[in-house]
Amino acid sequence: MADVSATMDLRRRDASDKLRGRTRYTIDRYLPGMLHAAVLRASVPAGRIVRLDTARATRMPGVHAVVTAADAPGKIGIGIADHPLFARDVIRYDGEPLAAVAAGTLAQAQAALAAIEVEIAPLPALLTMAEALAPEAPLVHPDWREHEILLEGGARAGNVAWEATVVRGDVDGAFARTDVEIVESTFRVGRQNHVAFEPRAVVADYEDGRFHIETSTQVPWTVRNATARLLGIAPSQVRVTVPPVGGGFGLKFDLAIEPFAALLARASGRPVRLVNSREEEMLTCLFRENAEIRIRSAVTREGEIVGREAVVLMDCGAYGGEQIFLTTMTAHTLGGNYRLGSVRLVSRAVYTNTAPNGAFRCCNGVYNTFALERHTDEIAERIGMDPLAFRRRNVLGDGDLGATGQVFEGDVLGPMLHRMDTLRDAAAPPRALADGRLYGRATTVGTWFVFVGPSAATVNMNADGTATLVTSGVEIGSGSMMQSLPQIVASTLGIPPETVIVRAADTDAAGYDVGVGGGRTTVSLGAASLSAAQEVRTKLLKVASDLIEAAPDDLVMREGRIEIAGAPGSGRTIAEVAARAQAQIGPISGTGAFTGAGVQAMPGCVAGHFIGAIDIPIFAVHDCEVAVDPETGHVEVLAYRVVQDVGRALNPRAIQGQIQGGVVQGLGYALHEEVTIGANGRVCQNGFETYRVPLAQDVVPVEISLYEGAPSIGPLGTKGAGEVPILNVGAAVACAVANATGKRVQELPLTPPRVLELLLDRKQDIALPHIAAAWADNLVRPHNQPDRS
Amino acid sequence: MVFTLSVNGDRLASTADPVTPLVDVLREEFHLTGAKPVCREGFCGACMVLVDGKPAPSCLMPVALAADCEIRTVEGLAGGGTLNPIQQALETCDAVQCGMCFPGMVVTLTHLLTTTSGATRDDIRAALTGNICRCTGYERIIDAAVLALAAT
Ligand code: FES
Ligand code: FES
Repeated sequence: MADVSATMDLRRRDASDKLRGRTRYTIDRYLPGMLHAAVLRASVPAGRIVRLDTARATRMPGVHAVVTAADAPGKIGIGIADHPLFARDVIRYDGEPLAAVAAGTLAQAQAALAAIEVEIAPLPALLTMAEALAPEAPLVHPDWREHEILLEGGARAGNVAWEATVVRGDVDGAFARTDVEIVESTFRVGRQNHVAFEPRAVVADYEDGRFHIETSTQVPWTVRNATARLLGIAPSQVRVTVPPVGGGFGLKFDLAIEPFAALLARASGRPVRLVNSREEEMLTCLFRENAEIRIRSAVTREGEIVGREAVVLMDCGAYGGEQIFLTTMTAHTLGGNYRLGSVRLVSRAVYTNTAPNGAFRCCNGVYNTFALERHTDEIAERIGMDPLAFRRRNVLGDGDLGATGQVFEGDVLGPMLHRMDTLRDAAAPPRALADGRLYGRATTVGTWFVFVGPSAATVNMNADGTATLVTSGVEIGSGSMMQSLPQIVASTLGIPPETVIVRAADTDAAGYDVGVGGGRTTVSLGAASLSAAQEVRTKLLKVASDLIEAAPDDLVMREGRIEIAGAPGSGRTIAEVAARAQAQIGPISGTGAFTGAGVQAMPGCVAGHFIGAIDIPIFAVHDCEVAVDPETGHVEVLAYRVVQDVGRALNPRAIQGQIQGGVVQGLGYALHEEVTIGANGRVCQNGFETYRVPLAQDVVPVEISLYEGAPSIGPLGTKGAGEVPILNVGAAVACAVANATGKRVQELPLTPPRVLELLLDRKQDIALPHIAAAWADNLVRPHNQPDRS
Repeated sequence: MVFTLSVNGDRLASTADPVTPLVDVLREEFHLTGAKPVCREGFCGACMVLVDGKPAPSCLMPVALAADCEIRTVEGLAGGGTLNPIQQALETCDAVQCGMCFPGMVVTLTHLLTTTSGATRDDIRAALTGNICRCTGYERIIDAAVLALAAT
């Protein structure tokens, strides 16, 4: 093990260049001879392509290449391959790509787009999940049966792209008991745009018969493999490298515009740059999906939850995308907070004729936590129990079962609630607000997980005593690549973290990786880096032991030296040993690989899930105080507190920065960020004027307490910390607003007009008639029957 | 038509169309890519530069209007090899995440620091209304401004 602690207050090495404007993101790359590309997008939500003629565009000034569906034969997706690069015959959403052009200047490329002749016969569009689930609804994918299946087991039919179910215990029996109250709640949330400051951007080239794609992505390997699939070539024909990324939040966890640039580079023989305009980012963002949720619980008067059922509808837009995978998450985000006697859940990804949705920080978790926590307050109110006491009584503890029958280890949420009590009670007591505003407060819990998956790392020991870490990890802003990974390598080798060089991602240089997201960087890449560094350490100690004439076990690596334990200043510098090793046996390097242990669900519990249980659960407790203006409906957040389970904090300051940022992004979601779809099928918010993200004046400093010591398979006991902070912000704000107003909060965001409607009792209860009353009637296939589609 | 621009003390010539936004000229002609065209609507502040000493979004300024002005971009704010006081404070406070908003933040806060004394946290928040950050939740940025103000 390392002699030196990996816990450090290491500053980011990329800060100085970022502060000088010197960092070169993908959008800052301009190659000599480079062409500029633009994409023609459909302007109807549904239609049949009658004619698409690019002949005139090809002859326009400056145009070097025009590509269409004929150039990209494949389809991609998760679970099912339903997504072509360009609309082929059928248009399924407003903004769907039809053709792409590369020209000498962007203006020339845009002029050429205008010269493409398109004739489209409009078709009726399904803009909501209610419409898509109506009995006679047309099909967004009439050919859904023909989609190639990439993962067996999900139930599908018509406009239900994927369905995942969980059944554990006798739920009917629980609801039939005479000693229970049955509480039912319904919820609705809108879409959220990531608004990553760097839009999706790519520069592609075709060199020596292979594609080189430089792109702003979180998933270099996905870009490599999915591009190859769309283009119908071998994945090894694609090399992906990634400059610093100007914000991701999950938006860049999927293939984006890379294949357009790649195709155009091959067709033109020149490097091609393609950058989404802000409007393209606003209209075709892979938004956090809108969702509709019904939860029912059977609860005893003493506060025991004996049965729970839920239906979660997730709008995937025109293509399945990540929602197919995310249907899995409902089991853990609705079923991982509280002890449940019995439970059944279904989450369904529903096709609509709208822009596809995608992953966004704590995808699926934010709205399910909002729904679950509001439902929890409604239960507490019904049985006349204090909401916090109800939570204390029911949160999962050591040995308790999650929804899928997974056994949770350790008491974590209980002590975290206790920690929050201390934080909250140390603060000023609740006040009657002098200005007539309504005061509210709430404490909520949330469960998230680390998306583990495979990662690889190599550490090369340099003869000057520095080490180079080679991975497919990407620095998206969270600092994991700049702080936790070099800290892990440095502590293992006893060298200063500043002397660990972190290589930018390059799929030709580093091994496979799932990508940077889901809080997995420190865990998966960290574990791979740790084991690579340990191999280097073992090799170095062996060389040193000959040199110093001491057994490797008697040696320590610290402060750049390999010394005899207990004899500071003895031995040699690591640089001397590394140089000697290089001359004697060749350069020293180590490799490491990691993947999740793969916790199993209880047999028969889940169907259509990508994972049955979670390797590393992460818990969070949030507390929020609000003031609601009864005249305007404006909600001001007065105080915000977070107790977050971090496993072990390698760099507490870096984690606190993530928590402050994540909470503020969550405040936007809770209070004003909402993407809506107009009657024409187009996203209404096309820029910063119409989509308002939090400003400096909207936020409060978050009081943070990092909870360490919960079990984790992460390296050195770590868990991911950057994803979770947004998890229960919507829940905490909604519960606090309900507490302040005494009204039933069923919807986010809580914009002033919405809150005012609540206050004036003008808000109708949210009815979701397209969710059937009997849980089983919401399934296209009974739970656990094999797929016969 | 050729414009002569004064950027970070250098005289630079541009042949751009007079209505081209200054941010595009800076980036594409002069390869000063510090200013970021994030929203192109004047809302986010990531493209902020000093025009005759005052912060202005370079996405809204036609290059023709900039011709007779002194332009200073984020690249011109660090004194030689060292960071200026606000850059230094932002580094010390570990404020930077993805970094895309920082060129504009640095411009706005450098201006605040050189023109104001005794600004409170609320004053700093108010000064930052034209600079959006999607990553950090602002507090570290405000901490840094407080630190830099205290040191001047
Ligand atoms: S790009 Fe100029 S203010 Fe946003
Ligand atoms: S650091 Fe990413 S936008 Fe501010």
